[in-house]
Parts: sequence; C-alpha cells; structure tokens
Amino acid sequence: MDLITLKQKMDECHYIYDDTLATVLTVALNLGRPLLIEGAAGVGKTEIAKVMSSALDRDLVRLQCYEGLDESKALYEWNYQKQLLSIQVNMNEADKEKLTKDLFSDEYLLERPLLKSIRSEKPVVLLIDEIDKADEEFEAFLLELLSEMQVTIPEVGTVKAKSIPFVVLTSNRARPLSEALRRRCAYLYIEYPDLEKELAIIRAKLPHVDDRLSAQVALAVQKLRSTEAILKKPSIAETLDWTAALDALGIRELTPDALRQTAGFILKNAEDLAVLQEEDPEVLTHHHHHHDCGCGGDCGGHHHG
Amino acid sequence: MAEPDVYLEKLSYFSRMLRLHGMAVSPKETEDAAVILTQLGFEDRNQVKTALRTVFAKSREEQITFDQVFDGFFLSEEAIRQQAREAMEREAEQARQRQIAEEDLRNLEFTEDQREAYAAMSEEKRKKLRDIKNKYGGGTDRSPDIYSNLIHSVFAKAILEQQMMMENAGLGGEDIDPEVGLLYRDISAFSDTEIPRAISIIQGITRQINGELTAKRNKSGHSGQLDFRKTIRKGLETGGSFYRLKHRKKRQRRKHLVLLCDVSGSMIQFSEFALRFIQSLNQVSDSSRVFLFSEELFEADPFSLQNMDLFRSLVRDSGLYGKGTDLGTALERISAMRPAVLNGSTTLLILSDTKTIDQPRAIQALLEAKRLTGRVIWLNPIPESKWQYLKSVQTFAALCAMVPCSTLRELANACRRLTAS
Repeated sequence: MDLITLKQKMDECHYIYDDTLATVLTVALNLGRPLLIEGAAGVGKTEIAKVMSSALDRDLVRLQCYEGLDESKALYEWNYQKQLLSIQVNMNEADKEKLTKDLFSDEYLLERPLLKSIRSEKPVVLLIDEIDKADEEFEAFLLELLSEMQVTIPEVGTVKAKSIPFVVLTSNRARPLSEALRRRCAYLYIEYPDLEKELAIIRAKLPHVDDRLSAQVALAVQKLRSTEAILKKPSIAETLDWTAALDALGIRELTPDALRQTAGFILKNAEDLAVLQEEDPEVLTHHHHHHDCGCGGDCGGHHHG
Repeated sequence: MAEPDVYLEKLSYFSRMLRLHGMAVSPKETEDAAVILTQLGFEDRNQVKTALRTVFAKSREEQITFDQVFDGFFLSEEAIRQQAREAMEREAEQARQRQIAEEDLRNLEFTEDQREAYAAMSEEKRKKLRDIKNKYGGGTDRSPDIYSNLIHSVFAKAILEQQMMMENAGLGGEDIDPEVGLLYRDISAFSDTEIPRAISIIQGITRQINGELTAKRNKSGHSGQLDFRKTIRKGLETGGSFYRLKHRKKRQRRKHLVLLCDVSGSMIQFSEFALRFIQSLNQVSDSSRVFLFSEELFEADPFSLQNMDLFRSLVRDSGLYGKGTDLGTALERISAMRPAVLNGSTTLLILSDTKTIDQPRAIQALLEAKRLTGRVIWLNPIPESKWQYLKSVQTFAALCAMVPCSTLRELANACRRLTAS
C-alpha cells in the first residue's frame, strides 16, 4: 500500500496524523515488519493499531501483556478437561493409536491470540500491548513468531502462518526490550501532540463541542503537560473525556472555577491536584487571549468578544 | 536530486557511518532501506529521513544518534554552502583575533597553546590581562618571575575553562529530548526546576530495574523441593491427576548494604540523588545503614531519607554541612563500631569524589575496611574522562572497584551492577 492510499484510508477513519506517522506506517507495512511503538502513557500508541485495523479493513486481535504471561495464555493450550472426557468416553475403542492421535488434534486445541492471528484465513492486525510488562522469557518466545511468522507446537509440529498479520507492539519503556526483539521491528517513538494537533483531535472526535471551548481545553492541557511539577501528564483520552464532561455540564467557557470543578477528569492523583490548586488557574485558562490582544500578558485575561 | 543508483551506493556508506557511531546495523536493514527508498522515492528529504529512521533506529537514543548522522551525511545544497560560508567566516575571525593577540603579546614569552588560548578569550578577560601587563609591566625587570607566574596562572585557568566548554559542547542531545538530556547530564549541575523531573526519571528507572530483578528471580527456577500444597491444588483442576508439578522457589539472599555518603559542600546534590536511587531499589537489600560524613560521621535514620527537604535539614542540623572531607576518620570510626557494622556479608558503598584531607590515613582506613567487608564499591561523581588527570582518583581506584556515576544514566548502570551479583 502506498503512502497516499494509506493517508486516504486514515482520513476516512477521522484519524489525525502527521507525515512522520504516515511514512513510518507505510514503511512498516511495505517491509512486512512488526512496528514497535514507544512513548509515554496516553500518547495514543494503542490507538494506532485500532486505526490500522479499520484503515486496512482487518480484524484486530489483541494480546494484553502482563507479568507472568506465558505461552499457554498467549499462544495455545490443550483443552485438558475435554481430553480427559474424551478418554473416558472412548475407553473401549479398539484403535488406541488413533485415539491418542485424536487427542492432540485441532478439536482439543484452544487458540490464544497469537495462534489465532497467524491461523486466520484473512490477514489481521495483531496488537501486542505493553510488551514491557511481560517477562524477558516471553519476549524471546515472540522472536520466532515475529521473524519467521511461524510457531512450533511440540505435539503438532511447526504451524506456518496462513496469512501475515500486521503486528503492532507497544511499550511504555518500563524496562528495556532486548536488542534481538528491537532488531526485528520498525521503530516509532511518539510524543504528546502539539496544540494544533490536539485541537484537531478534539474537533475530529467531538465535533459538536463549541470550538472556543475546545481551543481553551487544548491550551490548558498543553500547559498542564509542560508544568514540571505535574507527574502524571494528561493523556489524549483524558483530554477528550474532559472536553466531553465540560460540554455535558453545559460549560461554554473554561473559567478558573470550571477548571477547579472538573479537574478530576484530567489529573488523576492527589499530588497533581494539589499542584493545580497552588498554580494560578488564570494562567491555565486565560493565557491564550494574550496572543490576540498583544498586551503582553498584562491584561489579566480580559475577554475579547 | 541525484540518480537513485548514486543514492543506493551512498546508502551503504551511510550504514557504515551509523555503525561507526555505535549503532548495530545489519545488512538486512540496509537492504530494507534500499527497498523502501526505491518505493517512496527520493524527492522529499523529510520523508526519506523518517523512512530511514524507522528502519535503522531502534530506540529513542538511537533516533537521536541517527538524526545527527543523517543531518551530517545527507546535506542539502544550501546547507553545504551555508556551512562553507560559516567556516570561512570563523577562520577569518580566528585569524583576526590571533593577529590582535600577536600584537598584545609581542614582548612576552608564551607557548603556542597560550597564544591560542589568548586569541579565544573574551575581550573582558583580555582587558584584564592587559591591565595587569600595564600595571606591572614596568616592573618586569625587577621581578620577572612573579609577573610571568601571574600571567601563566591566568592562562592555565582560561585553557581549562575552554577545554571544559569543548567537552560540554560534545555532549549534545539535550535540545532534542529533555528527558534524554537530563539522563546524560552532570547530576550536580541540575537546576532546582529540573529536580522534580529528575526524581520522576529516577522513579521510572528504579521501577525498571526492580522489574528486571523480578523477572530474573522468576526465571531463576526452583530449589528442587516439591510444593505439595500447590501441586495438589493445581491437580484439582485436572481431576486429581498431577498434571503439572509445582516447586518451591529458591530463597533469595539479600545483601547488607552500608552506605558512606560524602555530604561536604560539592557533594550534597549528588549524594541526595544517589541515596534516593539506592533506597528505592527495594530488592537490593533489606537491611541497609546509611552514614553521612564530612569532617564528622553521622548515621542517618531511614525516616529522614524519605524526602529531599528532610535530608537537607538533617545534613544542616548534624553540623556536617559546609565542612571539608575527611574520609580516613569516617572509615576508621565505622570499622571500630561495636556491634560491628562491617562484616563478611556486607557491601560497603562509598559515595565520594575522592577529595579528602590526609590521604595516607584514608588509604590505610580503606584497606582496613576492605579487609573487614565482603566488597567495597566506590561511586564517583567525577566523569570518567577526567579521572586520568586526578591523582587521588587513581590512587583510590587502585584499591577498590570504582564506578563512574556523574549522570543519572551512569548511576542507573551502577545500581544495576550492584544488583547483578
């Protein structure tokens, strides 16, 4: 798929992107390489996989990683109960060989996300979310899948992919990933969107919200993110939640009061809320007027009709 | 734009350049880059850069290296001209300054180095030098030694400053990603506004290290003993047959850490950060004792290490602040403590920049402490590149394991080493 087609498809999904992202996605798609996305929490890493699934019109298969994730949860497991029952039922069968063979057939195989994604007839988008949460062991195990697009199941043999999935891995950099895994992937690092992009996202996702409010929210979020004292930076999803909440409350203007009342939607821990209380809310809510009025910030946030 | 063939040939040179800059680039990646470039075309410089970066760079740090190499390698035409122009202007300016310097220094005996240094000095400093010359110049005949010594000492300082500026300029990376920048910068040079950011980085890194340790422990297998309760329980899921056996985990031995922190004037910021780091490594040790020293020795209780304000006020109250450093006394007193603080199962960590009074005594005390403990590790906040110039660093480095940790990144690596063995 070329760059222009991909851009068209993403436009159809109302997804806001920049040229870098579009290029990176095209490169990963055309090389058939898995895409490793890193960045802070809440910058929209997972969203990319979702958008790709609808842009490419493929199913999304998702594997959420966590500490202790192993093959039986990620790849396959034998349905042991069913096997036991089958043994009981067929106890008097004459052909023992066949019975044993049957026990390790597809019928008793429980497909987990990884196996499902490569055995699917139609190609899918495989999202391996938060790979940094999984153990190193699991990472090593992924290597075979990612580079050869096949997995080995001892009782069955090697299962080759019927279709090649587009693999997206995300990581919060909670621990460094192995070199071997990195080498097999195309790499993308994303940062929080700038004001313009964030505003575009709000407009695209919440078209019914007053434009003025959206602009105020976007600006306030940018300020919050750049405040050093705030430890958990607001994510894009939180920006959207906040905007929706303000809109639902019938607030048309982001005043210091409105900000204080709804701060819980954007800041999620007590320390950060305390920082907000200390900060002058005027700075967050009214600063953008200064750009227009040219008063150099002395106007104290007067309103321009 | 040039022909594609030319560009593909350049691409292999480019891969080699990346390797020279420490990136692992396989032939497969060069091949991929070639494939993708023929598909995307070469018209849009930014697009080419993004595409190549996607293929070659595998981490945030590598992306920064990549950008530098790319910008240096694939120059646009204007950029080349611009650079040439700048270089010429710089040359001309330097020549002019050198000429002025020649004029100024006509009557004095100076080495080539010193002349260079003078040429690069700010006008303000030169004026100062000239003033000295004018003031005492008449008397050079009477006491030529004093005069030339004075001038030479001014020069020595200027040369050192210029060298340090050059070293700092080589660091780079800071403008691109503030987080990466903070990781690579000298800890004692952090400003107050950067400290909260640095602390959250530390939290991130310790979480990372703790995660690695947990993963390692989970992986490290079992002790060989069967865990009956868990096995039977797991067996219930599969109709009572013991489908999978469960074993007891190996017991983890934790170390006893004794930290000896230099909190004399220049060291306090570094000590704070290092302490914070080591304290938050919950897996490292369950019993650690922290001693602070300058001229005196003082044991810190865990409570006062919990945050920076408490720590600073503790240091101030204990009367250690603003004094010199006496490592020898501190070590002697720790070794002599009863009940014994140092024994075979302890690891002694020394956080200090090796500047101490009475070095011979400090060496004796260090040897004694080393005899008493399992091992001694020295965390040194002086950048490793400067060790060769400092005699005290070399002396102590010969006696125990010395680890550089001038930046958060190095500190993290040091902590990782601490937990590894």
